[in-house]
Amino acid sequence: MARVFNWQIGREMSYWYPESRPKRQFAAVLDINKCIACQTCTLACKTTWTSGKGQEYMLWNNVETKPYGSYPLAYDVKLLEMLGGQEWDGNRYAGRTLFEAAPAGERVLGWRPGHEDYSYPNTGEDDCAGQVDHGEHLSLPHAQWFFYLARICNHCTYPACLSSCPRGSIYKRPEDGIVLVDQGRCRGYQECVRGCPYKKVFYNPLTGTSEKCIACFPKIEQGIQPQCFVNCIGKIRLAGWISRPENARPDNPIDYLVHIRKVALPLFPQFGLEPNVYYIPPVHAPESFNRQLFGPGAAQAVKTYREAARDPDLAGLLCLFGSTEMLVSRFRRASETVAGTDEKGAELVRVPLREPVVVRPARDPRTQLVRINCP
Amino acid sequence: MRGQRYWWIGLLLAAAGCSRGPRAVPEVMAVETARLPDGPDAREWSSVPEHRAQLLAQDLVEPRLMEPSTQEVAVRALTNGAEIVFRLEWPDEARDDTPGPSRMVDACAVQLPEKIEPDLPEPQMGQEGRMVQIAYWRADWQAWTDGRGDTIRDLYPNASVDHYPFEAKPLEPGSAARQQMERLYSPATVSGNRRAGPRKSPVESLIATGPGTLSPAPSQDATGRGVFQKGRWSVVIRRPLPQGLGRDQRTHVAFAVWQGSRHEAGARKMRTGWIPLVRRAGS
Repeated sequence: MARVFNWQIGREMSYWYPESRPKRQFAAVLDINKCIACQTCTLACKTTWTSGKGQEYMLWNNVETKPYGSYPLAYDVKLLEMLGGQEWDGNRYAGRTLFEAAPAGERVLGWRPGHEDYSYPNTGEDDCAGQVDHGEHLSLPHAQWFFYLARICNHCTYPACLSSCPRGSIYKRPEDGIVLVDQGRCRGYQECVRGCPYKKVFYNPLTGTSEKCIACFPKIEQGIQPQCFVNCIGKIRLAGWISRPENARPDNPIDYLVHIRKVALPLFPQFGLEPNVYYIPPVHAPESFNRQLFGPGAAQAVKTYREAARDPDLAGLLCLFGSTEMLVSRFRRASETVAGTDEKGAELVRVPLREPVVVRPARDPRTQLVRINCP
Repeated sequence: MRGQRYWWIGLLLAAAGCSRGPRAVPEVMAVETARLPDGPDAREWSSVPEHRAQLLAQDLVEPRLMEPSTQEVAVRALTNGAEIVFRLEWPDEARDDTPGPSRMVDACAVQLPEKIEPDLPEPQMGQEGRMVQIAYWRADWQAWTDGRGDTIRDLYPNASVDHYPFEAKPLEPGSAARQQMERLYSPATVSGNRRAGPRKSPVESLIATGPGTLSPAPSQDATGRGVFQKGRWSVVIRRPLPQGLGRDQRTHVAFAVWQGSRHEAGARKMRTGWIPLVRRAGS
């Protein structure tokens, strides 16, 4: 095992291969607070990539309800239990990563779901954390709560799928950091399925190979966001590029949200994979739950997000989510509008910080009739 | 006494040779014969000496097999001077021939050095510059070649499929346009990966120069057939005779066995080291 630096856990750690970061890294921010679990992202992905034979059960993108939902079944709680204590010392992870906790004979601590674990993708859907008792009222965080967690492959900096493959069939593209299974080389040992803690690699029983989210790389190569991003009707997603913390640019949307404002956090950073999909944590969920999922920065991220309305740069950037199908590499705010640009500064989209509000009076002055809303 | 009344049955069986197992030999003996058998149940096998190869857990490279499973594999071999057929037999608790998520399949393999030479390559998949040839049999490919269909309902009879886009109109069944669209959803097929089929043989010819280097051989010249009966797999694997293996000459051979129900696949396998393989005249 090599020693590599993982900024998400604030320390060096063991990994199967030496540190080798891509020229630039595909990344995304998903605002959990806006997700309504309509599953449009799931279907956009399904119809685009996994409508073939042997792919019937695959959901490269899924949306699960937390705390009880998971796909495949219990993918997260099972591994959290296997890993044991996950203490943080400030922003430094004091526990063991999945690579450091690998048992003898293994490259990573993992497990392989059975085929029945894929049979219930909507388990726990819309299930509340507990009973809403008589007399309870809304407060933040909610006494009883749930939220929707949309998930794709995290295109990790230290992918466990890649390190698990004994024949090097999984690779991370140097040009954009997207992690792919070489379909010509894979022999279907399912070691990657076992190794990925997010269970985002799927075995195709009819082709005998494993398949996974490809971040819609044919679109990325043309500067367009992936299918699950551009089809999101809740506009919760923004795809782009992330820098290392020391190289963070304030005009890079992902850098700004992740490194500068620290409002978007990785999912299960304690696993040690340095995942590159970041989440704005739910404001109404308990801090302890957010902390387990998103690490020690969760409480501050919620605080920052709740103050976004009084923070024009942050609010402006959040308005860019879902505003264009193009990849937004830079952004700039000018007074009450915010513009998204490509890397050369060419404007791709401009949106107002606040949508103009028009209130129609209840009585129509021309007809002198009371307006009604027709169903 | 009832047992005494039927003493003659035992005598009859003994006379027919049924109670005797094949002659045990300390190396794999490829016996010359004019006709090579097609299957593991052929009568020709009964007179061929058997080598009981002890299996070891693959614990040299990660991922390792930490719990040993199959203890030994019984090996017999016949050759017609051009080809060699190995017959492998081992006990297996379950017939695992249905692939799926976390469902591994039973399998076995025969490995030979590329060249007959005294200095052997590493027995674990060869080594850089020292190639090994592998013939690999899988139970799911056996099921397919025996006639099982190649759809999700053949693996999961109760599977419900709403729609495949390539089966929608106006694409006509069997049309080139439809086949082309179906291939779009099968990247392994488009990439030319042999695992994606079509499967005409349950055996794949492979080459390797060390762990993790397994690749399809330039020539797919191995065939075979496997049968599962009474908790045992019997598999024959037929391939060209190692070049230069004359009568009474030796090369080496190694074997591997995978038990699907124990999640064995790839490097997680039971395997042997190199075992001498000698060609002998038939009786």
